[in-house]
Amino acid sequence: MAALAERHPGLAAWFGYIRRIPWLAFLLLYTIVTGGPFVWVALMSLRTTNEILDAPYALPSPAHWGKFAEAWTASKYGVYFWNSLIVVGCAVVLLTLIGAMAAHALARFQFRGRKALRLAILSGMMVPPQLLILSLFQILLQFGLYNTLAGLVLAYVATQLAMTIYILEGFFAQLPQDLFDAARMDGYSDFEIFWKITLPIGMPAIATTVVLNFIILWNEFLFAIVLLTDDDKRTLPLGIMHFMGAHQLDIGMIATGLMISIAPIIVLYACFSEIMIKGMTAGAVR
Amino acid sequence: MASVRISDLHKSFGKSAVLKGVSVDIADGDFVTLVGPSGCGKSTLLRMIAGLEDVGSGEIRIGDEVVNSVPPKERNIAMVFQNYALYPHMRVAQNMGFSLRLSREPRAEIATRVDRAAGILGLMPLLKRFPRQLSGGQRQRVAMGRAIVRDPRVFLFDEPLSNLDAQLRVKMRTEIKELHQRLKTTTIYVTHDQIEAMTMADRIVVMRDGLIEQVGGPLELYDRPENMFVAGFIGSPSMNFIPGELTGDGAFRSKAGALFALGRTAQRAGPAVLGIRPEDIGRPGASGGVPLPLAVRVIEPTGAEVQVIGSFEESEVVAVLKGRDAPKPGETVTLAFDPAKTHLFAPDSGARLH
Repeated sequence: MAALAERHPGLAAWFGYIRRIPWLAFLLLYTIVTGGPFVWVALMSLRTTNEILDAPYALPSPAHWGKFAEAWTASKYGVYFWNSLIVVGCAVVLLTLIGAMAAHALARFQFRGRKALRLAILSGMMVPPQLLILSLFQILLQFGLYNTLAGLVLAYVATQLAMTIYILEGFFAQLPQDLFDAARMDGYSDFEIFWKITLPIGMPAIATTVVLNFIILWNEFLFAIVLLTDDDKRTLPLGIMHFMGAHQLDIGMIATGLMISIAPIIVLYACFSEIMIKGMTAGAVR
Repeated sequence: MASVRISDLHKSFGKSAVLKGVSVDIADGDFVTLVGPSGCGKSTLLRMIAGLEDVGSGEIRIGDEVVNSVPPKERNIAMVFQNYALYPHMRVAQNMGFSLRLSREPRAEIATRVDRAAGILGLMPLLKRFPRQLSGGQRQRVAMGRAIVRDPRVFLFDEPLSNLDAQLRVKMRTEIKELHQRLKTTTIYVTHDQIEAMTMADRIVVMRDGLIEQVGGPLELYDRPENMFVAGFIGSPSMNFIPGELTGDGAFRSKAGALFALGRTAQRAGPAVLGIRPEDIGRPGASGGVPLPLAVRVIEPTGAEVQVIGSFEESEVVAVLKGRDAPKPGETVTLAFDPAKTHLFAPDSGARLH
């Protein structure tokens, strides 16, 4: 091959392209499979249900941009959106704070029962949410938190905490002990060390958990539908569900709602994908 | 500046005893290295002086004050770590002034002291950089700057040069020694590298298994090691040991019966180990010396000298020869050593025979 490249550089380049064809074909197929439905929904979000039923795959002509305003106000997507934002925002803030503190303690301090505690916390990851839903429902009912956004926030924190601690602890444990000794000699208290050393240095891992939790909780459906009943308290996934009646399906409005629902995730991922990948792979290579 | 006095210090982690009764006095302004193989307790001792480990039993005194239960920041000491321990999210100047900021020194005072330390260490052009933008040597210098800024009573160094390449290590060694000559702050320096210990320290504390084997000046340890461990640990290449016995009339007989006339008539007959430094073995010259036959196995030239590694009876013997006409592997050569420069040890306890 090397000899060929020397004698016929053009030919060698062609060979290079040909060798890559199967790989390119695979990538193309993958992009169509994953991106296709998204593009389809995006197109449908600008068309009315009647137009869609007439020609499911047609381009929007004309594009009904007004559907977004209508969805936001008349179809109450605005209310659902804010509910989602409040619930997920609060849950992610709580998760990050509690998770980081727990991860810091598990990674930094040697105390009696540390391993057992760690196992107890992390085993939370192995319990499927369906198993918890009945007991959670009863607990929230007892505390008067059933059908409240606060109740859903707490349920979300409880379910996602194990994974958050797992990711953060792995990262924090790799920070050199010298750094923390130096901070102690500089006069920092244990809490200050967490707040001013671990948190800023652990930012890539923390950003990872923030994005991950946000995406997971933003799309969460099961807990929301069981723990919320009032229409005014619904989160976005429930709101979209609202448009799927037993006998009729407002596909156009559902597509518009889906776009409203997907937009924040895309923005978040676009902004943080790099830092997130860094956080996921941190420590793999020194 | 202050003296450090350590009395009968014990420390255990769980069931394993790390320090088993360590006592040492470090005078004001001294540069002391703690040296020993890994696991000997030297780093634990340093961390206890720093206040990063609790004292099991015993007493640590800095100046006139017992500091056993004084938190690290109130001991007024500064430590330089092996991994530099610079805060990655702060610039060099912030890193250096950080402890002062915590103790609420006025801003102008912090700036003055940071500038002074940066001037001493040649860090002025780097003050605005982040640690990740610095080389290993520069990072270590910043770590030292951070220690200097505090104007501490005692400097502690925990294997600060281990992460640097060989060339930079030698350079930084000189810099640290120069710094000590300039600031005259009491310094305790932990290393496992005996060359570092020898070249830098006023006094060396050799440790093994949680105990101090010997304390003394570098040349004192080199010339009069108290036991076989110190004799073998200090000096590179290590001292050669040949087991045998003293005949009582001043000679030493090896296990296979070779007789060396050492002229040690004061020593009683009995089993002994003869210690000879590689650099005290040479070619037999006009001045004589005691002949030592050596079956040469490997030759290691270093340019200025040649290390000849060979066997005498069952012992491995290393000789350092000046010049370049080295013997060849496989040959048996007769070298010679100066009997006045030999050492004798008891085979069972390893203690020096006086």
